[in-house]
Amino acid sequence: MKAPSFDYVKPDSLDDVLALLAQHGDDARILAGGQTLLATLNMRLSEPELLIDINAVEALKGIEAKDDHLWIGALVRHSQIEDSPVVAQHAPLLMQAAPHVGHRAIRNQGTFGGSIAFADPAAEWPVCTVALDAVFHLAGSQGVRKVPAAEFFLDLYTTEMASDEMLIGCEIPFSPPDTKYAFQELARRHGDYAIVGVAATAQMRGGAFNNARLVFLGMGNTPIRALDVEQLVEGKAFSDDLVSQAKQALVGVLQPSADLYSSANTKMHLAGVLMGRVLKQLAESA
Amino acid sequence: MELLGEQLIGAGRQTVWDALNDPEILARCIPGCEEITRLSENQLQVKLMVKMGPVRSRFAGTLTLQDIKAPESCSLVFEGTGAAGFAKGGSTVALTEEGAQTRLNYAAKASIGGKLGQVGGRLIESSARKMADEFFSAFQAALSGNGAGDNAADSAPGNGELQSGRPEADAPEGASVQPAAAGAGAQPAVAAAPAAAHAQSSRPEGSGWRPELYRVFWFALGVFFTLLVSRWLP
Repeated sequence: MKAPSFDYVKPDSLDDVLALLAQHGDDARILAGGQTLLATLNMRLSEPELLIDINAVEALKGIEAKDDHLWIGALVRHSQIEDSPVVAQHAPLLMQAAPHVGHRAIRNQGTFGGSIAFADPAAEWPVCTVALDAVFHLAGSQGVRKVPAAEFFLDLYTTEMASDEMLIGCEIPFSPPDTKYAFQELARRHGDYAIVGVAATAQMRGGAFNNARLVFLGMGNTPIRALDVEQLVEGKAFSDDLVSQAKQALVGVLQPSADLYSSANTKMHLAGVLMGRVLKQLAESA
Repeated sequence: MELLGEQLIGAGRQTVWDALNDPEILARCIPGCEEITRLSENQLQVKLMVKMGPVRSRFAGTLTLQDIKAPESCSLVFEGTGAAGFAKGGSTVALTEEGAQTRLNYAAKASIGGKLGQVGGRLIESSARKMADEFFSAFQAALSGNGAGDNAADSAPGNGELQSGRPEADAPEGASVQPAAAGAGAQPAVAAAPAAAHAQSSRPEGSGWRPELYRVFWFALGVFFTLLVSRWLP
Protein backbone atom coordinates (compact mmCIF):
# COMPACT_ATOMS: atom_id res chain seq x y z
CA MET A 1 0.00 0.00 0.00
CA LYS A 2 0.97 3.60 -0.36
CA ALA A 3 1.07 6.19 2.38
CA PRO A 4 -1.71 8.78 2.65
CA SER A 5 -0.73 12.24 1.47
CA PHE A 6 1.19 14.42 3.86
CA ASP A 7 3.31 17.56 3.81
CA TYR A 8 7.06 17.15 4.12
CA VAL A 9 9.71 19.55 5.37
CA LYS A 10 13.42 19.03 5.94
CA PRO A 11 14.75 21.81 8.14
CA ASP A 12 18.49 21.93 8.87
CA SER A 13 18.43 23.55 12.29
CA LEU A 14 17.02 22.46 15.62
CA ASP A 15 15.26 25.80 16.07
CA ASP A 16 13.30 25.31 12.87
CA VAL A 17 12.26 21.83 13.92
CA LEU A 18 11.07 23.11 17.29
CA ALA A 19 9.18 25.99 15.70
CA LEU A 20 7.40 23.54 13.39
CA LEU A 21 6.60 21.27 16.33
CA ALA A 22 5.22 24.17 18.35
CA GLN A 23 3.05 25.15 15.41
CA HIS A 24 1.70 21.71 14.46
CA GLY A 25 2.00 19.73 17.71
CA ASP A 26 0.45 16.31 17.49
CA ASP A 27 -0.43 16.62 13.79
CA ALA A 28 3.25 16.55 12.90
CA ARG A 29 5.49 13.51 13.17
CA ILE A 30 9.25 13.59 13.32
CA LEU A 31 10.92 11.46 10.66
CA ALA A 32 14.33 10.18 11.75
CA GLY A 33 15.22 6.71 10.46
CA GLY A 34 11.65 5.93 9.49
CA GLN A 35 11.90 2.24 10.36
CA THR A 36 8.60 2.28 12.22
CA LEU A 37 6.96 5.45 10.98
CA LEU A 38 7.16 4.73 7.25
CA ALA A 39 5.80 1.22 7.68
CA THR A 40 2.81 2.49 9.63
CA LEU A 41 2.25 5.24 7.06
CA ASN A 42 2.30 2.72 4.22
CA MET A 43 -0.21 0.58 6.06
CA ARG A 44 -2.28 3.70 6.68
CA LEU A 45 -2.31 3.06 10.36
CA SER A 46 -1.50 6.69 10.90
CA GLU A 47 -2.22 9.83 8.92
CA PRO A 48 -0.11 12.77 10.08
CA GLU A 49 -0.49 16.07 8.28
CA LEU A 50 3.19 16.87 8.31
CA LEU A 51 6.44 14.94 8.39
CA ILE A 52 9.41 16.83 9.78
CA ASP A 53 12.55 15.16 8.43
CA ILE A 54 15.36 15.81 10.92
CA ASN A 55 18.11 14.02 8.99
CA ALA A 56 19.72 17.33 7.99
CA VAL A 57 20.10 18.58 11.57
CA GLU A 58 23.83 18.20 12.29
CA ALA A 59 23.43 18.97 16.01
CA LEU A 60 21.65 15.64 16.53
CA LYS A 61 24.45 13.49 15.13
CA GLY A 62 27.53 12.00 16.66
CA ILE A 63 28.84 9.91 19.51
CA GLU A 64 31.24 11.68 21.85
CA ALA A 65 33.12 10.89 25.05
CA LYS A 66 32.97 13.95 27.30
CA ASP A 67 34.51 14.53 30.77
CA ASP A 68 32.37 12.17 32.78
CA HIS A 69 29.82 10.87 30.32
CA LEU A 70 29.21 9.49 26.88
CA TRP A 71 26.99 11.56 24.58
CA ILE A 72 24.86 9.86 21.95
CA GLY A 73 22.92 12.12 19.59
CA ALA A 74 19.34 11.25 18.74
CA LEU A 75 20.16 10.69 15.05
CA VAL A 76 22.92 8.15 15.69
CA ARG A 77 22.13 4.94 13.77
CA HIS A 78 21.99 1.62 15.58
CA SER A 79 24.88 0.33 13.46
CA GLN A 80 27.06 3.30 14.46
CA ILE A 81 26.62 2.26 18.09
CA GLU A 82 27.38 -1.33 17.16
CA ASP A 83 30.64 -0.32 15.44
CA SER A 84 31.80 2.56 17.63
CA PRO A 85 35.06 2.03 19.54
CA VAL A 86 34.03 4.86 21.90
CA VAL A 87 30.84 3.00 22.85
CA ALA A 88 32.79 -0.26 23.18
CA GLN A 89 35.08 1.44 25.67
CA HIS A 90 32.58 3.39 27.75
CA ALA A 91 29.23 1.59 27.42
CA PRO A 92 29.84 -2.00 26.27
CA LEU A 93 26.26 -2.90 27.21
CA LEU A 94 25.02 -0.95 24.18
CA MET A 95 27.45 -2.80 21.93
CA GLN A 96 26.19 -6.12 23.26
CA ALA A 97 22.54 -5.15 22.77
CA ALA A 98 22.94 -3.62 19.28
CA PRO A 99 22.98 -6.90 17.29
CA HIS A 100 19.52 -7.67 18.70
CA VAL A 101 17.98 -4.55 17.11
CA GLY A 102 16.24 -5.79 13.95
CA HIS A 103 18.64 -6.72 11.15
CA ARG A 104 21.74 -4.91 9.94
CA ALA A 105 19.82 -3.18 7.14
CA ILE A 106 17.36 -1.83 9.72
CA ARG A 107 20.23 -0.85 12.02
CA ASN A 108 21.88 1.13 9.22
CA GLN A 109 18.83 3.33 8.92
CA GLY A 110 17.00 3.26 12.26
CA THR A 111 18.08 5.70 14.96
CA PHE A 112 18.85 5.51 18.65
CA GLY A 113 16.61 8.50 19.40
CA GLY A 114 13.76 7.10 17.33
CA SER A 115 13.73 3.86 19.27
CA ILE A 116 13.71 5.69 22.60
CA ALA A 117 11.08 8.27 21.67
CA PHE A 118 8.86 5.50 20.30
CA ALA A 119 9.22 3.53 23.57
CA ASP A 120 8.19 0.12 22.32
CA PRO A 121 8.04 -2.19 25.36
CA ALA A 122 10.10 -4.80 23.48
CA ALA A 123 12.83 -2.40 22.31
CA GLU A 124 16.44 -2.78 23.45
CA TRP A 125 17.60 0.81 23.98
CA PRO A 126 15.03 1.78 26.61
CA VAL A 127 16.14 -1.01 28.98
CA CYS A 128 19.82 -0.32 28.32
CA THR A 129 19.43 3.38 29.10
CA VAL A 130 17.57 2.58 32.32
CA ALA A 131 20.28 0.08 33.32
CA LEU A 132 23.01 2.65 32.59
CA ASP A 133 21.31 5.59 34.38
CA ALA A 134 21.21 7.59 31.16
CA VAL A 135 19.77 11.10 31.09
CA PHE A 136 17.73 12.23 28.09
CA HIS A 137 17.84 15.79 26.79
CA LEU A 138 14.45 17.00 25.59
CA ALA A 139 14.29 20.23 23.64
CA GLY A 140 11.12 22.28 23.51
CA SER A 141 9.99 25.86 23.23
CA GLN A 142 10.95 26.33 26.91
CA GLY A 143 14.54 25.23 26.30
CA VAL A 144 16.22 21.94 27.07
CA ARG A 145 15.26 19.80 30.04
CA LYS A 146 17.00 16.70 31.30
CA VAL A 147 15.00 13.62 32.25
CA PRO A 148 16.56 10.47 33.76
CA ALA A 149 15.74 7.33 31.80
CA ALA A 150 14.09 5.78 34.87
CA GLU A 151 11.49 8.60 34.85
CA PHE A 152 11.11 8.87 31.09
CA PHE A 153 9.11 5.77 30.17
CA LEU A 154 5.64 6.21 31.63
CA ASP A 155 3.39 3.65 30.01
CA LEU A 156 2.75 1.78 26.80
CA TYR A 157 4.21 4.01 24.05
CA THR A 158 3.91 6.91 26.46
CA THR A 159 6.89 8.96 27.53
CA GLU A 160 7.58 12.08 29.54
CA MET A 161 8.04 13.96 26.26
CA ALA A 162 5.35 16.52 25.37
CA SER A 163 4.00 16.79 21.83
CA ASP A 164 6.00 19.97 21.19
CA GLU A 165 9.25 18.49 22.47
CA MET A 166 11.86 16.32 20.82
CA LEU A 167 14.64 14.09 22.04
CA ILE A 168 18.02 15.54 21.04
CA GLY A 169 20.29 12.99 22.65
CA CYS A 170 21.27 11.18 25.75
CA GLU A 171 24.16 11.28 28.19
CA ILE A 172 25.38 8.07 29.75
CA PRO A 173 27.55 8.52 32.84
CA PHE A 174 30.81 6.55 32.88
CA SER A 175 30.57 3.47 35.07
CA PRO A 176 33.32 2.39 37.49
CA PRO A 177 36.09 0.54 35.60
CA ASP A 178 35.28 -2.84 37.17
CA THR A 179 31.69 -2.78 35.89
CA LYS A 180 30.56 -5.86 33.95
CA TYR A 181 27.74 -5.96 31.45
CA ALA A 182 25.42 -8.62 30.07
CA PHE A 183 22.51 -8.54 27.63
CA GLN A 184 20.28 -11.45 26.69
CA GLU A 185 17.18 -11.56 24.56
CA LEU A 186 14.81 -14.14 23.14
CA ALA A 187 12.87 -13.68 19.93
CA ARG A 188 11.02 -16.23 17.81
CA ARG A 189 13.31 -15.46 14.88
CA HIS A 190 16.35 -13.22 14.83
CA GLY A 191 15.23 -9.65 14.17
CA ASP A 192 11.70 -10.16 15.46
CA TYR A 193 10.39 -8.16 18.36
CA ALA A 194 11.68 -9.74 21.52
CA ILE A 195 9.46 -11.91 23.70
CA VAL A 196 11.64 -11.13 26.67
CA GLY A 197 15.06 -9.65 27.24
CA VAL A 198 17.22 -8.41 30.06
CA ALA A 199 20.04 -5.90 30.41
CA ALA A 200 22.32 -6.32 33.42
CA THR A 201 25.26 -4.51 34.93
CA ALA A 202 27.19 -5.10 38.15
CA GLN A 203 30.55 -4.48 39.69
CA MET A 204 32.09 -7.83 40.52
CA ARG A 205 34.23 -7.49 43.65
CA GLY A 206 35.82 -10.60 45.13
CA GLY A 207 33.45 -12.72 43.06
CA ALA A 208 30.37 -11.03 44.51
CA PHE A 209 27.74 -8.85 42.83
CA ASN A 210 27.83 -5.18 43.75
CA ASN A 211 25.33 -2.54 42.63
CA ALA A 212 23.67 -5.04 40.35
CA ARG A 213 21.13 -3.74 37.86
CA LEU A 214 18.61 -5.96 36.12
CA VAL A 215 16.17 -4.35 33.69
CA PHE A 216 13.68 -6.41 31.70
CA LEU A 217 12.09 -5.73 28.34
CA GLY A 218 8.87 -7.17 26.96
CA MET A 219 7.58 -7.96 30.45
CA GLY A 220 5.34 -4.95 30.94
CA ASN A 221 4.47 -1.65 29.32
CA THR A 222 7.84 -0.06 30.14
CA PRO A 223 11.35 -1.22 31.04
CA ILE A 224 11.04 -2.98 34.39
CA ARG A 225 13.81 -2.93 36.97
CA ALA A 226 13.91 -6.00 39.20
CA LEU A 227 14.77 -4.17 42.43
CA ASP A 228 13.98 -7.15 44.66
CA VAL A 229 16.37 -9.35 42.74
CA GLU A 230 19.05 -6.67 42.76
CA GLN A 231 18.85 -6.51 46.55
CA LEU A 232 18.86 -10.28 46.81
CA VAL A 233 22.10 -10.78 44.88
CA GLU A 234 23.89 -7.81 46.44
CA GLY A 235 27.19 -8.93 48.00
CA LYS A 236 26.65 -12.57 47.08
CA ALA A 237 28.68 -14.79 44.79
CA PHE A 238 27.11 -16.58 41.86
CA SER A 239 25.69 -20.02 42.54
CA ASP A 240 22.87 -22.16 41.20
CA ASP A 241 21.15 -21.73 44.53
CA LEU A 242 21.28 -17.94 44.17
CA VAL A 243 19.73 -18.20 40.71
CA SER A 244 16.79 -20.24 41.97
CA GLN A 245 16.25 -17.76 44.82
CA ALA A 246 16.41 -14.94 42.32
CA LYS A 247 13.82 -16.66 40.12
CA GLN A 248 11.45 -16.85 43.06
CA ALA A 249 11.98 -13.17 43.82
CA LEU A 250 11.38 -12.36 40.16
CA VAL A 251 7.82 -13.71 40.32
CA GLY A 252 6.89 -10.83 42.61
CA VAL A 253 8.48 -8.25 40.31
CA LEU A 254 7.15 -9.10 36.87
CA GLN A 255 3.52 -9.42 35.82
CA PRO A 256 3.78 -10.11 32.11
CA SER A 257 0.61 -10.23 30.03
CA ALA A 258 0.01 -12.85 27.39
CA ASP A 259 0.24 -12.12 23.70
CA LEU A 260 -0.84 -14.13 20.67
CA TYR A 261 2.16 -16.48 20.92
CA SER A 262 3.24 -16.78 24.53
CA SER A 263 1.22 -17.12 27.69
CA ALA A 264 2.11 -15.10 30.77
CA ASN A 265 3.56 -18.23 32.39
CA THR A 266 5.78 -18.92 29.41
CA LYS A 267 7.11 -15.39 29.50
CA MET A 268 7.71 -15.62 33.23
CA HIS A 269 9.66 -18.84 32.78
CA LEU A 270 11.75 -17.39 29.95
CA ALA A 271 12.54 -14.29 31.99
CA GLY A 272 13.88 -16.52 34.78
CA VAL A 273 16.05 -18.49 32.36
CA LEU A 274 17.50 -15.33 30.82
CA MET A 275 18.15 -13.87 34.27
CA GLY A 276 20.13 -16.99 35.17
CA ARG A 277 22.19 -16.53 32.01
CA VAL A 278 23.02 -12.88 32.59
CA LEU A 279 23.97 -13.48 36.23
CA LYS A 280 26.28 -16.26 35.11
CA GLN A 281 27.69 -14.10 32.33
CA LEU A 282 28.39 -11.27 34.78
CA ALA A 283 30.09 -13.66 37.20
CA GLU A 284 32.20 -15.32 34.54
CA SER A 285 33.34 -12.09 32.92
CA ALA A 286 34.87 -10.92 36.20
CA MET B 1 -8.26 -11.74 24.31
CA GLU B 2 -10.06 -11.37 27.60
CA LEU B 3 -9.90 -8.54 30.02
CA LEU B 4 -11.21 -8.52 33.56
CA GLY B 5 -11.32 -5.54 35.83
CA GLU B 6 -13.17 -3.75 38.52
CA GLN B 7 -13.43 -0.20 39.66
CA LEU B 8 -14.91 1.46 42.73
CA ILE B 9 -16.75 4.58 41.71
CA GLY B 10 -17.64 7.28 44.21
CA ALA B 11 -21.28 7.68 43.21
CA GLY B 12 -24.57 5.91 43.74
CA ARG B 13 -25.57 2.97 41.56
CA GLN B 14 -28.39 4.78 39.79
CA THR B 15 -26.08 7.70 38.97
CA VAL B 16 -23.47 5.33 37.58
CA TRP B 17 -26.10 3.48 35.57
CA ASP B 18 -27.48 6.70 34.13
CA ALA B 19 -23.99 7.83 33.21
CA LEU B 20 -23.23 4.56 31.44
CA ASN B 21 -26.34 5.15 29.36
CA ASP B 22 -25.61 8.78 28.69
CA PRO B 23 -23.94 9.34 25.29
CA GLU B 24 -22.62 12.74 26.41
CA ILE B 25 -20.74 11.27 29.34
CA LEU B 26 -19.56 8.27 27.35
CA ALA B 27 -18.28 10.63 24.65
CA ARG B 28 -16.15 12.38 27.22
CA CYS B 29 -14.80 9.19 28.72
CA ILE B 30 -14.13 6.85 25.81
CA PRO B 31 -10.49 7.48 24.88
CA GLY B 32 -10.25 9.23 21.53
CA CYS B 33 -14.02 9.46 21.09
CA GLU B 34 -14.93 12.09 18.54
CA GLU B 35 -18.64 11.66 18.16
CA ILE B 36 -21.46 9.62 19.62
CA THR B 37 -24.94 9.56 18.14
CA ARG B 38 -27.93 7.59 19.32
CA LEU B 39 -29.32 5.30 16.63
CA SER B 40 -32.05 3.77 18.73
CA GLU B 41 -32.82 3.38 22.40
CA ASN B 42 -30.14 0.78 22.93
CA GLN B 43 -27.80 1.44 20.08
CA LEU B 44 -25.17 4.12 19.73
CA GLN B 45 -22.96 5.03 16.83
CA VAL B 46 -19.42 5.85 17.90
CA LYS B 47 -16.60 7.48 15.99
CA LEU B 48 -13.25 7.31 17.63
CA MET B 49 -9.63 8.07 16.98
CA VAL B 50 -7.37 5.39 18.34
CA LYS B 51 -3.98 6.75 19.29
CA MET B 52 -1.75 3.97 20.43
CA GLY B 53 1.92 4.12 19.64
CA PRO B 54 2.34 3.95 15.89
CA VAL B 55 -1.40 3.65 15.31
CA ARG B 56 -3.44 6.78 14.81
CA SER B 57 -6.49 5.58 13.04
CA ARG B 58 -10.16 6.43 12.95
CA PHE B 59 -12.81 3.85 13.67
CA ALA B 60 -16.54 3.99 13.25
CA GLY B 61 -18.73 1.45 14.88
CA THR B 62 -21.87 0.64 16.74
CA LEU B 63 -22.25 0.06 20.42
CA THR B 64 -25.28 -2.01 21.38
CA LEU B 65 -26.63 -2.56 24.87
CA GLN B 66 -28.12 -5.98 25.51
CA ASP B 67 -29.53 -8.01 28.41
CA ILE B 68 -30.38 -4.85 30.25
CA LYS B 69 -31.22 -5.26 33.92
CA ALA B 70 -31.32 -1.68 35.12
CA PRO B 71 -29.57 -0.64 37.25
CA GLU B 72 -27.61 -3.85 37.85
CA SER B 73 -26.03 -5.17 34.72
CA CYS B 74 -25.94 -5.09 30.97
CA SER B 75 -23.74 -6.25 28.19
CA LEU B 76 -22.18 -4.04 25.57
CA VAL B 77 -21.35 -5.23 22.09
CA PHE B 78 -19.00 -3.21 19.93
CA GLU B 79 -18.33 -3.69 16.27
CA GLY B 80 -16.19 -1.29 14.35
CA THR B 81 -14.19 -0.91 11.21
CA GLY B 82 -11.59 1.56 10.07
CA ALA B 83 -8.84 1.88 7.50
CA ALA B 84 -6.54 -0.03 9.80
CA GLY B 85 -8.67 -3.11 10.32
CA PHE B 86 -11.64 -4.19 12.31
CA ALA B 87 -12.35 -4.60 15.98
CA LYS B 88 -15.11 -6.58 17.62
CA GLY B 89 -15.75 -6.78 21.27
CA GLY B 90 -18.21 -7.55 23.94
CA SER B 91 -18.24 -6.62 27.57
CA THR B 92 -20.47 -7.43 30.48
CA VAL B 93 -20.80 -4.78 33.12
CA ALA B 94 -22.20 -5.40 36.58
CA LEU B 95 -22.86 -2.76 39.20
CA THR B 96 -23.09 -3.54 42.91
CA GLU B 97 -23.75 -1.09 45.69
CA GLU B 98 -21.12 -0.62 48.37
CA GLY B 99 -22.39 1.96 50.80
CA ALA B 100 -22.53 5.26 49.00
CA GLN B 101 -20.26 3.94 46.30
CA THR B 102 -20.65 1.56 43.43
CA ARG B 103 -18.42 -1.28 42.42
CA LEU B 104 -18.25 -1.80 38.69
CA ASN B 105 -17.06 -5.19 37.44
CA TYR B 106 -16.36 -5.69 33.79
CA ALA B 107 -15.34 -8.64 31.70
CA ALA B 108 -14.45 -7.82 28.14
CA LYS B 109 -13.61 -9.95 25.16
CA ALA B 110 -12.16 -8.42 22.05
CA SER B 111 -10.80 -9.54 18.75
CA ILE B 112 -9.12 -7.46 16.12
CA GLY B 113 -8.23 -8.22 12.55
CA GLY B 114 -6.83 -6.78 9.38
CA LYS B 115 -3.59 -4.82 9.51
CA LEU B 116 -4.40 -3.73 13.02
CA GLY B 117 -4.30 -7.37 14.05
CA GLN B 118 -0.95 -7.97 12.36
CA VAL B 119 0.67 -4.97 13.91
CA GLY B 120 -1.17 -4.87 17.20
CA GLY B 121 -1.39 -8.58 18.00
CA ARG B 122 1.76 -8.40 20.08
CA LEU B 123 0.44 -5.64 22.29
CA ILE B 124 -3.31 -5.98 22.03
CA GLU B 125 -3.85 -6.91 25.64
CA SER B 126 -1.80 -4.11 27.10
CA SER B 127 -3.34 -1.65 24.63
CA ALA B 128 -6.86 -2.71 25.55
CA ARG B 129 -6.05 -2.55 29.25
CA LYS B 130 -4.63 0.93 28.84
CA MET B 131 -7.75 2.12 27.02
CA ALA B 132 -9.98 0.58 29.69
CA ASP B 133 -7.92 2.28 32.41
CA GLU B 134 -8.23 5.62 30.63
CA PHE B 135 -11.96 5.16 30.21
CA PHE B 136 -12.60 4.37 33.86
CA SER B 137 -10.40 7.09 35.28
CA ALA B 138 -12.18 9.61 33.05
CA PHE B 139 -15.52 8.09 34.03
CA GLN B 140 -14.61 8.34 37.69
CA ALA B 141 -13.57 11.96 37.24
CA ALA B 142 -16.75 12.80 35.31
CA LEU B 143 -18.90 11.30 38.06
CA SER B 144 -17.09 12.81 41.00
CA GLY B 145 -18.05 16.12 39.43
CA ASN B 146 -14.70 17.89 39.56
CA GLY B 147 -14.93 18.68 35.87
CA ALA B 148 -11.49 17.17 35.31
CA GLY B 149 -12.82 14.48 33.02
CA ASP B 150 -11.12 15.81 29.91
CA ASN B 151 -7.80 16.27 31.63
CA ALA B 152 -7.95 12.86 33.19
CA ALA B 153 -8.51 11.31 29.80
CA ASP B 154 -5.51 13.10 28.37
CA SER B 155 -3.13 12.63 31.26
CA ALA B 156 -4.08 9.10 32.11
CA PRO B 157 -0.56 7.59 31.75
CA GLY B 158 0.93 6.23 34.92
CA ASN B 159 -2.16 4.57 36.31
CA GLY B 160 -1.18 1.08 35.37
CA GLU B 161 -3.19 -0.60 38.07
CA LEU B 162 -6.68 0.55 38.76
CA GLN B 163 -7.73 -2.54 40.63
CA SER B 164 -7.37 -1.12 44.09
CA GLY B 165 -5.77 1.63 46.10
CA ARG B 166 -6.50 4.71 44.11
CA PRO B 167 -10.29 4.64 44.18
CA GLU B 168 -10.19 4.07 47.93
CA ALA B 169 -7.83 6.99 48.28
CA ASP B 170 -10.45 9.19 46.67
CA ALA B 171 -13.24 7.87 48.80
CA PRO B 172 -12.82 9.35 52.29
CA GLU B 173 -13.07 13.00 51.35
CA GLY B 174 -16.17 12.57 49.23
CA ALA B 175 -17.94 9.49 50.56
CA SER B 176 -20.89 11.34 52.01
CA VAL B 177 -20.95 14.31 49.66
CA GLN B 178 -20.41 12.33 46.51
CA PRO B 179 -23.94 11.54 45.35
CA ALA B 180 -24.96 15.17 45.57
CA ALA B 181 -21.75 16.39 44.03
CA ALA B 182 -22.03 13.87 41.25
CA GLY B 183 -25.56 14.93 40.50
CA ALA B 184 -24.57 18.56 40.36
CA GLY B 185 -21.35 17.86 38.51
CA ALA B 186 -22.94 15.75 35.83
CA GLN B 187 -25.09 18.64 34.62
CA PRO B 188 -22.29 21.02 33.64
CA ALA B 189 -20.51 18.05 32.10
CA VAL B 190 -23.48 17.33 29.90
CA ALA B 191 -23.76 20.97 28.99
CA ALA B 192 -20.08 21.19 28.12
CA ALA B 193 -20.03 18.16 25.88
CA PRO B 194 -22.53 19.34 23.25
CA ALA B 195 -20.67 22.64 23.07
CA ALA B 196 -17.45 20.80 22.35
CA ALA B 197 -19.20 18.53 19.87
CA HIS B 198 -20.67 21.55 18.18
CA ALA B 199 -17.30 23.25 17.91
CA GLN B 200 -15.97 20.13 16.26
CA SER B 201 -18.80 19.68 13.84
CA SER B 202 -18.55 23.28 12.72
CA ARG B 203 -15.00 22.72 11.52
CA PRO B 204 -15.82 20.62 8.45
CA GLU B 205 -18.22 23.37 7.29
CA GLY B 206 -15.46 25.92 7.72
CA SER B 207 -13.09 23.81 5.68
CA GLY B 208 -15.58 24.06 2.79
CA TRP B 209 -13.86 27.36 2.12
CA ARG B 210 -10.63 25.74 1.14
CA PRO B 211 -11.63 24.37 -2.29
CA GLU B 212 -13.17 27.78 -3.03
CA LEU B 213 -9.92 29.52 -2.18
CA TYR B 214 -7.99 27.08 -4.35
CA ARG B 215 -10.30 27.82 -7.25
CA VAL B 216 -9.88 31.57 -6.76
CA PHE B 217 -6.14 31.07 -6.58
CA TRP B 218 -5.96 29.09 -9.82
CA PHE B 219 -8.28 31.54 -11.55
CA ALA B 220 -6.06 34.43 -10.49
CA LEU B 221 -2.99 32.52 -11.64
CA GLY B 222 -4.66 31.86 -15.00
CA VAL B 223 -5.51 35.53 -15.44
CA PHE B 224 -1.96 36.47 -14.51
CA PHE B 225 -0.44 34.09 -17.05
CA THR B 226 -2.82 35.16 -19.77
CA LEU B 227 -1.83 38.76 -19.17
CA LEU B 228 1.84 37.81 -19.02
CA VAL B 229 1.74 35.84 -22.23
CA SER B 230 -0.27 38.46 -24.08
CA ARG B 231 2.06 41.23 -22.92
CA TRP B 232 5.45 39.60 -23.34
CA LEU B 233 4.89 37.21 -26.18
CA PRO B 234 3.24 39.31 -28.85
